[in-house]
Amino acid sequence: MKSIRYRGEPSTNLTGWLFVGAAVLLCATFCLYPIISSFLLSFQTGRGNQIRFNGLGNIRRLFQDAVFHQALKNTFVYFIFQVPVMIVLALSIASVLNSPKLRFNGLFRTAIFLPCVTSLVAYSVLFRSMFSLEGLVNHTLLRLQFISAPIPWLLDPFWAKVLIIIALTWRWTGYNMMFYLSALQNIEPSIYEAARIDGAGPLSQFRLITIPMLKPIILFTSVMSTIGTLQLFDESMNITLGGPSNATLSISHYIYNVLFLFTPNFGYAATISYVIVFFVAILALIQFKISGEDNA
Amino acid sequence: MKRTRIAAIAMAAACLAGAFAGGGTESQGSGSKKLTIWAWDPNFNIAIMNEAKARYAAANPGVEIEVVDMAKADVEQKLLINLSSGVSDGLPDIVLIEDYNAQKYLSSFPGSFADLTGKIDHSKFAPYKVRLMTMGGKTYGVPFDSGVAGTFYRKDVLEAAGFKAKDLENITWDRFIEIGEVVFKKTGVSMCAFDPTDGGLVRIMLQSAGSWYFDKAGKPNLAGNAVMEAAVSTYAKLIASPATMKTSGWSEWVGAINSGKAATISTGVWIVGSVKAEASQSGKWAVAPIPRLNVANSVNASNLGGSSWYVLNQSKAKDTAIDFLNAIYAKDNDFYQKILVERGAVGTFSPSQSGTAYMNADAFFGGQKVFSDFSAWMNKIPSIEYGSYTYEADAAIAAILPEVYKGSSVAAALKNAQTQLVSQIQE
Repeated sequence: MKSIRYRGEPSTNLTGWLFVGAAVLLCATFCLYPIISSFLLSFQTGRGNQIRFNGLGNIRRLFQDAVFHQALKNTFVYFIFQVPVMIVLALSIASVLNSPKLRFNGLFRTAIFLPCVTSLVAYSVLFRSMFSLEGLVNHTLLRLQFISAPIPWLLDPFWAKVLIIIALTWRWTGYNMMFYLSALQNIEPSIYEAARIDGAGPLSQFRLITIPMLKPIILFTSVMSTIGTLQLFDESMNITLGGPSNATLSISHYIYNVLFLFTPNFGYAATISYVIVFFVAILALIQFKISGEDNA
Repeated sequence: MKRTRIAAIAMAAACLAGAFAGGGTESQGSGSKKLTIWAWDPNFNIAIMNEAKARYAAANPGVEIEVVDMAKADVEQKLLINLSSGVSDGLPDIVLIEDYNAQKYLSSFPGSFADLTGKIDHSKFAPYKVRLMTMGGKTYGVPFDSGVAGTFYRKDVLEAAGFKAKDLENITWDRFIEIGEVVFKKTGVSMCAFDPTDGGLVRIMLQSAGSWYFDKAGKPNLAGNAVMEAAVSTYAKLIASPATMKTSGWSEWVGAINSGKAATISTGVWIVGSVKAEASQSGKWAVAPIPRLNVANSVNASNLGGSSWYVLNQSKAKDTAIDFLNAIYAKDNDFYQKILVERGAVGTFSPSQSGTAYMNADAFFGGQKVFSDFSAWMNKIPSIEYGSYTYEADAAIAAILPEVYKGSSVAAALKNAQTQLVSQIQE
């Protein structure tokens, strides 16, 4: 095949650039420019538009800011406890729903997937009222005599975290389940058949075939869920308002507070947002590394 | 990731839409006398502004006024984003700002609000209110409603427990808690309802003693502040009392009194609409002065919340906006009588408080002249400066409340709160 000589053909060049030009322009205006601008902003500080360069002052401040540490800790608690619970749950539900013996599985799939298409704010408000001191959940638990006194879901630092984890799990399990379902359908049924002939029961089939075959998807959903947790905002904002005493405050919620609740400091808020970028970048790197090894 | 991308697209779309919308109003606004006003709460601020608009329009038919109703957080966010972008096209001519936030906006965006010194007669307004909107000797803003505090109580419940109106006058919070426990024991009704994570009552207590989260120089004043210690430990005592019902959020809190589960509510006068919302309790309610702290300077009068009107400096119709606020909010006595009757709005315009509406007996409160009482208390509110960091301090106090409830030393907890506050307000 003849190689194309770009240098001698400016017209071809121009046509090409015109084609990508619109996309490049949009990308530069709405993506690249804000990124660069916010990066510069992260080295500035001051209230409102009284802003000035501060060198590494914001980063130094991050290390001393107890509320930021609390938000960071909360976010890590969310993904250390919530992500595994959700992944295991999603995986189990997916393999049950994948069974050809199950009737009405379309109905179940829809029911479990439905939470993640509901409005974040609407479900948060509902959760807030369901889990209030005299709400539906406490009422039910009391009536069933599981507990002797109502659980202070929204008032106690520990239970508030549990509530956020319950809410997140409710909303995102179905979403992850869909990934597993589609991956499960790509597993050749003959593998299971061979395993059955070799005498493997359902549990060892799940452990020795399903999980290894789904490994890339499990990795993908874990990383995606972790990134999602790092960006958590709606639940913290709407269910618990970040409280009690910052026990459920997420990093993104703290950024919101720095900007809109407290005296606005755009520079410091930008610095905190780069902390999220930093963690997401590390996670993405881990994912690329592991999945890259898989492909090789 | 997908969520982020969708959000980014939505945001970009919103920006574009905003740009076009902005362009539209700009071409329309030039030359004509059109005022845009941003505020929140359709039953209160918006309805009152619409009344003001109707009055002004009758005398000035050439002026078109648009009152835009948004959620409070939306007003604040839009104002903040517009001010910091440096583009004035998207800004209104008049905006409502909560008093706790006034200094924050004035100091964060200097030059963005019109100096109204000499243009409005501020001597006719409650002095504590004028002080909040004054910075560097200049007074910005037109004082609006008062958050003068009072204790609304169920006369029938307290009488069943053997307490008369006199028993609630001139009392301390400690006495209030004692009364509450008797009421709870005898009637089974909770004395009051509180959200343990909300520090609003701490602010009431502080101002009743002329103290605040910050000292006169604006430095954090949590650690070693006797009033602060008294307020936090009193609040903890109140929360620990079996007579206190614990609620979460606004609707549960108001629901506690509307459903008859709690016998009193101590807060700003603006709650009157929510108290009266339960018509079946008409005639059973009364209002007493707010209890005071057990410290030397504390009085039985305080404040919670309240907001004021501000004119944007870059407004194309700045003079019209000032004239409008001056004509109605700083002169029209009859207007204040009407909004009091219709909305329960207690203005801070002093001449209005001798008006007829303030002297009326209210059947809901068993014939008590509640607004006349509130105006009397309003003039006793100790005048303080909130500074720019009310919400940072609020968050610092909220953060220590759980450890205080568990019984740790208030002085030590306040030291922690001070450390947090100091690190929060550095710039």
